[in-house]
Amino acid sequence: METVISVKNLEKKYGAFTAVNNISFEVQKGEIFGLLGENGAGKTTTLEMIEGLRKPTSGEITILGMNAEKEKDKIKVKIGVQLQSSAYYAFLTLKEILQLFGQFYPTHQDPMQLLESVNLKEKANSYIGKLSGGQRQRFSIVASLINDPDIVFLDEPTTGLDPRARRKLWDLITEIKKQGKTIVLTTHYLEEAEMLCDHIAIMENGSIIAKDKTHKLIEMAKTPFKLNFFAPKITGAEVAELGKIAPVHELVGKSHYYEMGIQTQKDLDTAITLLQAGSPESFTVGRASLEDVFIELTGKKLQEDEGKDD
Amino acid sequence: MINLFVSNLKMLVRNRQQLFWSLAFPLIFTVIFGFFFGSGSSSAGTVALVKQSNSNVANTLSDGITQTDLFKVKTYATEDEARTQLKKNQVTAIVVIPTLFGEQSANGTTTVNIISNPSNAQSNSIINGFISQYLTQINYQIQNAKPIYSTSTENSSSGSFSYFDFVLVGLIGMALMNSSIQGVSITMSKYREDQILKRLTTTPLKPWKFIVSEVAARLLVNVIQISLILGIGILGFHAKVGSAIPIIMLLSLLGAILFQLIGFSVAASVKTADAAEGMSTAVAIPMMFLAGVFFPIDQLPKWLFSIIQYLPLAPLLRLMRGAALESTSIFENPINIAIVSGWIVVLLIYSSMRFRLTEE
Repeated sequence: METVISVKNLEKKYGAFTAVNNISFEVQKGEIFGLLGENGAGKTTTLEMIEGLRKPTSGEITILGMNAEKEKDKIKVKIGVQLQSSAYYAFLTLKEILQLFGQFYPTHQDPMQLLESVNLKEKANSYIGKLSGGQRQRFSIVASLINDPDIVFLDEPTTGLDPRARRKLWDLITEIKKQGKTIVLTTHYLEEAEMLCDHIAIMENGSIIAKDKTHKLIEMAKTPFKLNFFAPKITGAEVAELGKIAPVHELVGKSHYYEMGIQTQKDLDTAITLLQAGSPESFTVGRASLEDVFIELTGKKLQEDEGKDD
Repeated sequence: MINLFVSNLKMLVRNRQQLFWSLAFPLIFTVIFGFFFGSGSSSAGTVALVKQSNSNVANTLSDGITQTDLFKVKTYATEDEARTQLKKNQVTAIVVIPTLFGEQSANGTTTVNIISNPSNAQSNSIINGFISQYLTQINYQIQNAKPIYSTSTENSSSGSFSYFDFVLVGLIGMALMNSSIQGVSITMSKYREDQILKRLTTTPLKPWKFIVSEVAARLLVNVIQISLILGIGILGFHAKVGSAIPIIMLLSLLGAILFQLIGFSVAASVKTADAAEGMSTAVAIPMMFLAGVFFPIDQLPKWLFSIIQYLPLAPLLRLMRGAALESTSIFENPINIAIVSGWIVVLLIYSSMRFRLTEE
């Protein structure tokens, strides 16, 4: 494995406020690395320091073996950046924007080919204002590929999109990975991070509170097994009996829906046997998700719609 | 960099709203002022002449009235007809040369009637003055007398220029100021809001190249803008500034750079495009009136003049008017060049320190 980005003891302070607090991590060539966290956790600030847009207060960033501060110009040729909710020139067509940005680099890809790769060929002569949210985001990502970069930075690429457009973008990001490029992305969608990322660093209040391979992070869950059941006829005594194995939560909203987080396979077997005595109408056994780990680590849930207002 | 320059030009032309403010708006002003004050239009308006006498004196008087270019003349057969026109505001005053006026007979009359609308005080005094002076001359001739006292007037400038010439130069300044301050400040703040500036910093493009191509594209639009204003002023309304075109152009570009720097400074001082629009309007509108676009500011109270003569637009207009209307060298009053250069230096320092493509 070849390390393409190395961040050591990175810190960013604005007066008394610490936006990024002494974080370190490494990104390997060809992987998708995710910075996961709430808004204001320091994800974008971290990303922008790596991209050379913000000056770190202290710490060291090495990209493709080059010092991020001293060899900024050389690095810029090798990276592609998609900014959070970035718009492009309003009075240039998509093709013209790609042509213009291509001219900033020593070599560049063919604009029409890039547009075709994201199904925007027929929009080549349109202004950006004529695109839908999903199309705009696809354009924004493909524009970051104009210089055929080794590393692509995507800042909240799917924020504000509907589920279908989001899935399309996941496909696009996977395609970019297949071309051998390394991708660093930020997201506050747990599902997205779980689905796309090889490695995840979870950020909270400027610090990294956990980082590992995605599956290893999920295995960190205190209760890897999950038992969900719908049992209108279950008695209080039966619930109390189940509660001896693990806490039984009645789900908010729906009636008679219960959930249990269970630590071991043995406990799970016992619980299922007990549960069947209560003749549930349905029950499912599942495994923990990144969300469970996230809640255990931070003590809170990530809100789906939070990103739309920033 | 050429690509960026061409792209900037494309965007300037495609942005209809900005194009209106930089080209159409000053041209509309030029045409309006041209119709009011340009050659061929007379500031005193139109006089209705009702000539009912055929005597020699009446003929001389009516010829004199028709030939002056102080006002336009329309002839009507009857006073009633003329009065109808006056009511409709089609004419500003009626001059009636009554029957028997100037007849060398016992019942000959000696009075010319002027009927005027009191709302046109300025026109009325011009028409009254002209006719009474004309009659005085005739009186002298008839009495064979020579006037003993007289006045002599001398124009302070070598050439003779009209108010239109004066205001045309002012309009050039106004056009440069509005398009540059508003154009740069709003565009730059919008670019920042839309993260375009930040996106550009992620590319190897050098910031100075970005600024230079932006400024250069705008200067080219300014050249077109000034050419159109001068073209319409000179060809359409006979403005007498023709000999000074090269120096006007040169000063215009200097002014455009100054105003673009104000635009960058505004963009550096505010956060949003809306705020930039508000602030640049707050800078440009007072300057338009106080720096002498429409009227000479040295007529203002001395204390006020002593302050506003240093506004960036004021020395620029003094330089342009000196060159265009009085054929004076721009170096005759070095203080004007000093003020303009001073502003450029100050704004350049401020904007290069404060205007950033990204926030830290």
